[in-house]
This record gives sequence, structure tokens and C-alpha cells, in this order.
Amino acid sequence: MRRSVKLAAVVLSGSLGIASLAACGAKSTSTSSSAAGGSGLKVGMAYDVGGRGDQGFNDSAAAGLDKAKSQFNITTNEAEAKPGESDSDKQSRLEQLVNAGYNPVIAVGFVYQSAVEKVAKEHPNTKFAIIDSDSPTQPSNVTSLEFTEQQSSYLAGIAAALKTQKKQVGFIGGVQSELIKKFEAGYRAGVASVDPNIKVDVTYLTTPPDFTGFSDPAKGKSAAQGQLDKGDDVIYAAAGASGTGAIQAVAAKQGAWVIGVDSDQAKQTALSAYKNSILTSAVKNVDTAVFSYIQSVKNGTPETGVQRFDLKSGGVGLATTGGHIDDIKAKLDAATQQIVSGATQIPTAPPAG
Amino acid sequence: MANHDINLTVRTGTVHALMGENGAGKSTLMKILYGMQKPDEGTITINGEQVEFATPGDAITRGIGMVHQHFMLADNLTVLENVVLGSEKLYGIGARAKAKIKEISDQYGLGVRPDALVEDLGVADRQRVEILKVLYRGARILILDEPTAVLVPQEVDALFDNLRDLKSEGVTVIFISHKLHEVLSVADAISVIRRGTTVGDADPGSVTARELAELMVGSELPSPESRESTVTDVEMLKVEGLRIAKADAEGIERVVLDDVSLTIRKGEILGVAGVEGNGQAELVEAIMGMLPLDAGTVVLDGQDLTGKLTRARREAGIGYVPEDRHRHGLLLEAPLWENRILGHVTETPNSKGFVLDPAAARRDTERIVREYDVRTPGIEVTAASLSGGNQQKLIVGREMSHNPKLLIAAHPTRGVDVGAQAQIWGQIRAAQQEGLAVLLISADLDELIGLSDTIRVIYRGRLVADADPATVTAEDLGTAMTGAAAGRIESADEALAEAAVVAEAAAVVEDAAAAEAAVAAEGAAVTEAAAVTEDAGTAEAAVAAEGAAVTEGAAATAAVTEDAVVAEDVPGEDATTTDTAGDDAQAGE
Amino acid sequence: MTTSTEPSPGLGLGGAPRRGRFQRIDRERLLLAIAAPVLAVVIAFAISSLLLAISGKDPFQAFSLMGNYGLGTSDGQVAVLNKATTYYIAGVAVAFGFRMNLFNIGADGQYRLAALFAAFVGGAVNLPSFIEIPLVLITAMLVGGLWAAIAGVLKVTRGVSEVISTIMLNAITTGVIGLLLVPGRFVPSVGGGGSSNSVQTKMMAPSSDFFTLNTQGGQLYGFIIVAVLIGVLFQLVLSRTRFGFDLRATGRSEEAAGASGVNVKRMVLTSMCISGALAGLIGMPDLLSADTGHYFGQSFQAGVGFTGIAIALLGRNTPVGIAFAALLWAFLDATNGQLSTNNYPPEIANVMQGTIVICVVVAYELVRRFGLKRQQQKVGAQLAAQAAAAAKKEVAA
Repeated sequence: MRRSVKLAAVVLSGSLGIASLAACGAKSTSTSSSAAGGSGLKVGMAYDVGGRGDQGFNDSAAAGLDKAKSQFNITTNEAEAKPGESDSDKQSRLEQLVNAGYNPVIAVGFVYQSAVEKVAKEHPNTKFAIIDSDSPTQPSNVTSLEFTEQQSSYLAGIAAALKTQKKQVGFIGGVQSELIKKFEAGYRAGVASVDPNIKVDVTYLTTPPDFTGFSDPAKGKSAAQGQLDKGDDVIYAAAGASGTGAIQAVAAKQGAWVIGVDSDQAKQTALSAYKNSILTSAVKNVDTAVFSYIQSVKNGTPETGVQRFDLKSGGVGLATTGGHIDDIKAKLDAATQQIVSGATQIPTAPPAG
Repeated sequence: MANHDINLTVRTGTVHALMGENGAGKSTLMKILYGMQKPDEGTITINGEQVEFATPGDAITRGIGMVHQHFMLADNLTVLENVVLGSEKLYGIGARAKAKIKEISDQYGLGVRPDALVEDLGVADRQRVEILKVLYRGARILILDEPTAVLVPQEVDALFDNLRDLKSEGVTVIFISHKLHEVLSVADAISVIRRGTTVGDADPGSVTARELAELMVGSELPSPESRESTVTDVEMLKVEGLRIAKADAEGIERVVLDDVSLTIRKGEILGVAGVEGNGQAELVEAIMGMLPLDAGTVVLDGQDLTGKLTRARREAGIGYVPEDRHRHGLLLEAPLWENRILGHVTETPNSKGFVLDPAAARRDTERIVREYDVRTPGIEVTAASLSGGNQQKLIVGREMSHNPKLLIAAHPTRGVDVGAQAQIWGQIRAAQQEGLAVLLISADLDELIGLSDTIRVIYRGRLVADADPATVTAEDLGTAMTGAAAGRIESADEALAEAAVVAEAAAVVEDAAAAEAAVAAEGAAVTEAAAVTEDAGTAEAAVAAEGAAVTEGAAATAAVTEDAVVAEDVPGEDATTTDTAGDDAQAGE
Repeated sequence: MTTSTEPSPGLGLGGAPRRGRFQRIDRERLLLAIAAPVLAVVIAFAISSLLLAISGKDPFQAFSLMGNYGLGTSDGQVAVLNKATTYYIAGVAVAFGFRMNLFNIGADGQYRLAALFAAFVGGAVNLPSFIEIPLVLITAMLVGGLWAAIAGVLKVTRGVSEVISTIMLNAITTGVIGLLLVPGRFVPSVGGGGSSNSVQTKMMAPSSDFFTLNTQGGQLYGFIIVAVLIGVLFQLVLSRTRFGFDLRATGRSEEAAGASGVNVKRMVLTSMCISGALAGLIGMPDLLSADTGHYFGQSFQAGVGFTGIAIALLGRNTPVGIAFAALLWAFLDATNGQLSTNNYPPEIANVMQGTIVICVVVAYELVRRFGLKRQQQKVGAQLAAQAAAAAKKEVAA
């Protein structure tokens, strides 16, 4: 037994030793927090995996931050998530930003929900914003910035229904998550509002927890190819970076249209070669939301609670680049009117099954 | 043993047989000639020119080609593709290559079809492809490593015809074998290797099989002396109707054990003689429970073990000295005391209940080291750092420490130095006197004859013959091992008497061997003998390797430090003589 | 077993002088064993310094940032220790298989599936802590073990390499979780309100809180004690039990173990199950801590199983080695956030981790061969010296 006991003792005392050490170091918190006052607003931003430069969601948030930076006298700091990290990693990322005196701190993506809640409770004097998510338990210093993706998707559905020749359209979702299901629901409803007999093919690239469906253009390409082969001639790709693959596939086929997502994809330089196939894009103006939030904090009247960015406020909409939907503008405008007025209610979940 | 003081001279245009038991060092020597291994000392001369090979490539450019025991052909390629593979530069890969293959095939009567798929060919055809492959690369000296091991008799005759054709075209063939009759029928000259050194050359025209066998197994080495019988009439092991069929690499089902029945009584040593690969290993593994049986029963001391697992069989009282101690007997990288536990982890003193008792195991290891004369600086060193003989003594000591009812000893003294050999024999005999039953598998016929109370001969998975060691000679036993004789073998009185004389002489040597100092003298004598037989300066020498002292490097973990062996086995001998565990050579076979 | 290099007091064969020589061998082996990982870490630091320097950043500044946070601040220390706890369990789970040459690449899938089921079971009941926590832990170990057993059964009955099957099972795990982690199955159909896009199992009751140590730097996982106990148990089982001996023997030489009476097939199955059961615990510190969890969501940490492989390799499959490796890994992971907030490329920590693994694998093999050869030489030299001494005595006599 001797040696094992010795060994155990070493390990135990070692670990406890380190544990007690943990109690003696100074905490890295800079106690001189609650800064914010005066001219220099310090804005911290925590991205989801991909970070700045992902050509999508994170980039859009970054654009809003950049815009705020150029207009106001603010300092910024950004950090991004690693694939396969734990909730505590997200917490410590937020905490590091808070401890460095950043206020407000903006978390990009619903994955931050529980981390934001936790950190916000510990730092009531710091303001937080989280994009795409809210929860009834979040404290009052957390602001949710949300979008009515189903509305823009509804319009995309109308456009698709009006443009299809074969009465068959497609939907490609990146990951079968609650968020993307909202896109699907709106799109289906939009198509059905024009002609209930138009068939909608739905393909999801992956199911959670596999989130590669947002970042794998090859998957998007083969899914789009499959739908084209089935005879779909308008495809709505709500699949993040995977959507570029779908756009490539559709562009290779004469007479087929693709609808982009999140930002105006026809304007993206990487996709300029395919812009003549991009019918429109269901734009989600994360940048606007971020900018408006920072502006509200700057002005001393911070947005609180759940901020919804909808069709009415210009938070979501259809892009008109290329003029491919100019001919159906009247119908789209009418539908927009109906939504804004509340006459049209759009489901947020696709029909079961 | 590593090779040392090997002298071999081969004349151009002859078939030169190289004989020796498994583990004698033949394969190591061939590896040196083929550039797969570098000698520590000595020279290789081809046509009067001294050469050095760093790689097989060097050997090939010098016109040496090797046909390995295990074919190195890609099944899914054609003969043509296999032949040109790696030698595309010679004649391209198309029509020119095919023409060349045809030409070689016709020239030597090989009958090879270049477009056939290798997977469709039989063993003999594959072998001819291998030979052609070597000739295609321009070889003038061919090394064939145990080419007949995989062939049936008719195919062997066909191969020998091919060899004669090759010879008549001026190709030199070095033919490795341990089968006496084959060698006598095809060779023009014979060299015999034993324990890593050349012990003599023979002329096949004048030498008898018996003389060859003597040279090979070394009758002049100590052989176990005869003594009073301790056989009782209590049956200890009863094996009935064992049958095992295995699918070989080609997918053909082969019966490796066929209706094998044997009985060993208390105090009896049953020897099983046979050419390697005739089912001995499977017989042992079947009794140990390591191979599933297709039919048959194994009963030990009245207890039916047929369905039992290996551990239960060991607990029931079977001790096991495996044929390949590195593979089956030891954990090479574990300390000696852990090796002492191996195989007996459930028994005292190694464990109490489910918990190990390392302290007791260590104490008992010290005892084994002391009682069985294991030469080691301590019990914390790894098993790999001991010499082969000391590893084997540790295994024997371990197995004997649990009072086995039956000891299975497979080649217990293979690759073991002379001193350890005598000790191991002594220990087996001592245990036998106390009622131990022993199943002895050996390729050393003298060991078998000297130690056994009964001998059975195994041939192609069947026990075909039996003999009383008192009335049989090694030569007749050798004949039975080739399947040429069956039933009860008894040798002529004349031959027996002759053998007795040899045995007597050997007994003298054995006495001397017990004293360690004598070992050196014996070693010296062998060297002297080799020097005498060394062919004095043949001008047309094709290959001559002289005084090649070799250390096996391939199995580094198994290797024993040279110093250790020198110190142990041959004190006072030239310190530059290097030596390794014999198992290395075995591994090469 | 490299940890068992210390000389036994029971070694009385040759008296004092020889024992002294022995200790020297052992000290040397110990030194060699430590040399390899240290060398690997140094090389990794050198390479990442070079990379930082090339990209125009001051490497020393970067390392001091990491060091200051991870070692100098209390919250950094807690972050490192909490991470190390998870990593340690992962390392031990993988090492258990490695000790018998079984490459359980599937720890990743095993722990994720185990955590999902554990969270589901834990969320479905509301029991006092002393029942709730064991229930959750047992569920996790059971699911992890059974999931790993699939690979074990395939290997034993069909000869499928466990490397292939566990990799495949990892992919299948992701699919299975996707299938189960939907509203109506493992996720309550009526969510907690709000429009959070994240999907997660029902929150477990507060009684499932495993105790935490309150330190100045935040909550330290009480699970760290469990991790230590696992390490101690691991060592005890391996070095002191018949089962452990069989396992190590099988790892060293499957054939020798088979000949010695080990039922290799059963051994494969058993150790695969145990490895999987241990892997099932990987997600538990997170799941049982009120800080981070009490639920399994789509963003539940993935990939720790693979981290465990690296850590087991680095720690040479010994409990103490794995502890150091887990701490180092946790340090690199926990502190790289400091890099990105200070405008250093955070990838540098990943580069270091990768370099360490590659260097350490190479270094261990070199050291192993060197050590073996050296020991053989020493034994030879000692025996020769003994023989010479004996001969001299004879001459004198």
C-alpha cells in the first residue's frame, strides 16, 4: 500500500495546495469599474464562433460596432468564441470584458444567453445586450436585440412564389434550430399566400448540436443541387456561410433564382460573380440594431427589455440590389403594409411534421 | 545466438545448401548477405572483390537476389505488374518487360504467365514468380529461404528441377533448409550452421543423412543422460481426439490438428518430435486453452478441462514454458517481479483475494533468482535486459514454483546457452522425479531422446509414429518426422550402438559444461573446427563471408547486451566476440 | 509503468553497493521520464514565441499576460482549476483504455450522450441531494459505459478496430443528440417563455448542486475532489489489483497476457465499459454546478474527449502525469482569452497545445528506447563486473 498512499497524498495535497493558492491571489477585477462617464464610452463585444470576418451574422454586428466607432468617441474591444468551448468560457470572456471596464458589453448570438444572465447578475452596474435571445429570468441590465426574421422570410416567400415557373420552390436551412425554423415558417406562409399549390422543398443541412450547417458551403452546394435536380427554380438559403455554396450551385443553372439571407448578398464582393442569380436577400440588420443600441447608451437613454427589430422599424426587409424584384414591387409593398398594420399574422414555427 | 565466426564459401554455378536448426542463425546470415543487416565484423567477397552492403538495393546491384519464405507479392496485381514493381527502369512496364519475363521464364523453364493475376496462382506458381522477380533484376546469386516449407512433395521435385536448370545456366543458388533428404537430393555442397557459427561443410556425395543430422543438432553437445525411469501408472493428462481446423492466408481451410490423442502419466516425460509447423504449436495451445477446439477432450488428473479458459487450466496445475518466450512468456518491458506474477496472478504468493501482494511477489522473485540461478543485478530490471538463458530460467522457475501437475515445455532450451541448458534439464528431471508429468516439444532430437520416456512423432497434424527413446536413433526419428515412416520405430542395433558411443562422448562434454570454465574451451574448439573446414582459397569463389560476427539489431528490445553474455557464457574469450540472444535469430526465421 | 521506478526497500540481493547502483539507474529513469515532457513544453514555447515575434508581437508580453492571469489572479486560478477538473477526468477516462492498448477515441461522444441523459433524468425528478446527485452520476456512467460497450462488443465479436468504431460513434452521438434534444422529447414542449433560440433540457432542481468551494476568485468545483479520488482509485486498481495487473499485462503484450490466462476478449469489453463510464463523468462538473448549468443545451461544451486524448498522451497515462497535463492544458485554454482581449492572436495557445502533443509523442518514444538500451548496457556492465570480481576471488583463493 505504501507507494499508492504516498501517491495519493501527493496528489491530494497538491490539488488542495493549488486550491488554497486560489484564495490568496488578488482577483483580476479592476475595482475602479463603473467608469463609462464622460466622453469615452467603452464598448465590449463578444462574438460567436467565426467572429469578425465570417461574412455573416458576426460581421454584421461588427459593422454596427464600426459605424458607432466612427460616429461617436468610443473605444471598443472584441473577443470571439472558440469551437467546443464551455459555458464557463463564455462567462469568463464576458467577465474579462467587464473587468477591463467595458460597458456596455454586447454578446452576439443566443449561445450567450445563460452566460450573459449569470454575469449580468454579478455586475448590475454594467449594461449587457444579447442578440437573438431573451429569457424571462434575465436581469434588467440585459437588453435583448431580436429580429422578426419570419417577416422578411414571408416577403421572400412571396417573391419566390411570384417568380417560380415550375410551381416548385426550395428552402435550405443551415441548422434545424428554433431560429432557422422561424425563417422556414415565414417563407412557407409567404409562398402559400400567393399560391397554396406551390410545393416547398425543405432541406436542413445539419441538426443541433452539429452547427457545421452554418459554415460548410459544400453542404449548401449539394443541398441546392439536389433541390435543383428535383425541379425547384427558386431557392431560399438561410444557412449562414453554407449559403454561398447554394448560391454557386443555383447560379450555375440557367433560369433559377436564389434568395440570400442576413445581409444583402448581391453586394458582397465574394459573391459578385453570382449577383445576377441572386433574386433578393432577406436582410436582417444586426448592424442597425447594434448601432442603435450603442447610440441609446451613448445618449444616456439605453434601450431596455426586449427590443424587436421588425419590418416596420427597418430591422428586417428585402434587398433590392439588381432590381430583380422591381416588377413585383407593388405586391411586396402591399404585403409589407399588411404586416406592418398587423393584418397579416405570420407563424413563427413551421407546421409540425 | 548471434552469429560469430561464420565462414561460408560458395562456388559459382552450384546449389549450396545451408543447413541448421531453427534459430541456428541461418536467417541472420542471409540477412547479412542480402544487405538487410550489417555485420559487426568480417567481410563478404564476390568474385574476388570485397563488397559491403548497406541495403538490399546494394546486394541487388551486386547480383544477389533473395526469395523470402513468406512471399512478397501483391495479390491484386498481375504477374507482370508484380515483377516490374520497383524495377520499372529496367525494361519499362509494357511489352518490353513482358518479353523479358517470357525470355527468362523460357530460359529457366519456369513456365510463368505474365498476365495471370497473382491471387489466382497456387503456392508453387507464386514461388516461381518470386524467383523470376529476382532473376529479372539481374541476380546471378539466388538465396532461397526455406523454399520447400510451403510446398507439397511433387512441387518440391518441380522446384528442384528449376534449381537444376538455374544451375546449368550458371546461376548460383544458396538454399536454406533443415530437411535432410531434400538437401541431399539437390545440393552440390552443404554447410551446416549451429548456434550461430559454421560447424562444418559436407559433400552430399559422401555424407550420410545421419552424419548431417549429427552436425546439425550437435551430437557432441551435452545430451541428457539416461537414468532410472520414474514413470508411474497414474494418468495425469489425457487428451483425446483433438481436432482443429484453421483457415490459412489463402482462405483454404487446413486441418492443423487431426484426431490427436495422447496420455501422459505421473512422472513421465512425453516427447513430441516433428518438423516445425506440423501442429506442435497448435497442440500446445489447444491444451492450454488458447485455441478453440473443433473436437476432442482434455482431462488433467481426472478433471475435465475441455471447456475451461486458460486461467482455469493454469490454476488446475498446468505449467507452461512457451515456445516463443518473448511473445508468450514474458512482459519484456516489465520488471522481473511483475514477470514472476504473470500467469499466476490468482495464486499465492502473488495475490490475496483480488488484491495483489507485490511485497510477497518480490520476495518470491528473489527466491527464484537465487534458486534457479538467474543472473541479474536485481529484480527491478526489465525482463528485456536479461539474456535469453536467464529469461528462460526465470520462466522455468516461475512455472515450477506453483507445483504444477503437468509442465508443457516447448523448446525449453532453444536459444539458451549451454550452461543454462544443463540447468533447465536438471530442473525438469528433478520435478519429474517428484511426479511431474511433462509434455516436451523439441526440435533438438538429442534433447528429445535423452529426456523423454516416450516419443511421439507429429506429422501434418497427426501423431503418426511413436518410439522408445532407448531404441531409436536421431536419424530414424528424423525419417519419421518427414512422414516417411509410421507406427512403431525401432532402430537397428548397430546404429544404436554407434549412437551410444556418441552419447557417451557427449556425456563427458556435459560434465565439463556444468563447470562454466569449460564452456570457453568448447567454444574455442568449435571455432577451430570451423577454421579447418573453411575452404582454402577457391579462386572461383562466388560468395564468401568470413569471420562474420553479427549482432542482431532488428529486435532491439530483445537484444541482450553483448557484455552480459560475454561475461556469462564465455568468460575469457576475446571480448570483441559479440553475441545476442538466440531468440533474435528465431524471430528472423 | 514509469511511476514504479523507485527502488523497492525489499531489494536485498546484492547488499549495499549494488543497491546504490540501482538507485542511480532509477534516478536516471525518473529524470528521463521528466525530461521528455519538459523538453516538449520548452520547444512549444520556443515555436510559439517565434510565431509571435514574426507577427510583430512581443512574445514575452503575451506569456506574461497569460501567466499573470492564470497564476497571479484568483479568478484565473479558479478558472484553470475548474477546467483542469474536467480535463483530468477526460484524461483518466482515455488513459484507462490506453493502458491496455485500447484507443477509446469515442470519449467525446460518450460524455456528451451521458450528460444529455443525466440532465434529462436529473430534470425529470426532484429528489434530495443525496439521492439526486448519485442518480445523475450513475446515469451518466451507465450511459457512457453502455455507449462505449458498443465499440467493445464490435471489437470482440467482429474484430472491428475500436478506433474506427468509436470515431463513428462520435458522429452518431451528434445525430442522436440532435434527435432527442428537441421540444417534446428531452426538451419541455412549453419552453420557459421568452424567445430564446437555444434549446435545452429542463433545468434540474437546485438539489442537484454539487458542493462548490467558495474562494476569492469565485466558485471552485467541488468535483475537483472527485477527480482526485478518481486518480487515486485509478492508480490503486492498476497497481494493486489482479484486474489491474491483467489490464497492464494485456496492454504490454496481448499474446503474453492471453497465454498467462487473461481472457483478453472479456478484458477488452470490461475496460471499454470502464473507460466509457469514466468518460460519462466528464460533463458532470459543468452539469452539477449551479454556475454553469443544471441543463444540457445545444451549446454544451463539446470536444473535451479529444482534449482528454492529448492529456493522456502528455501525462503518459499515469494519474500524476495526467494531473500535470490537465493543469497545463487548462492553463493554456483559460488564459488565451486574455490574449484576444489584449489584441494578441488567441490561436497561439492552440499552436502551443498542438506542438506540445507532437513533441511529446516523439520525445517519449526516443526516451523509451534510450532508457531501455541504457538499462541493458548497465545490467550487462554490472554482470560483467560481478563476474570479474568472482574470477579475481577465485584466482586469489
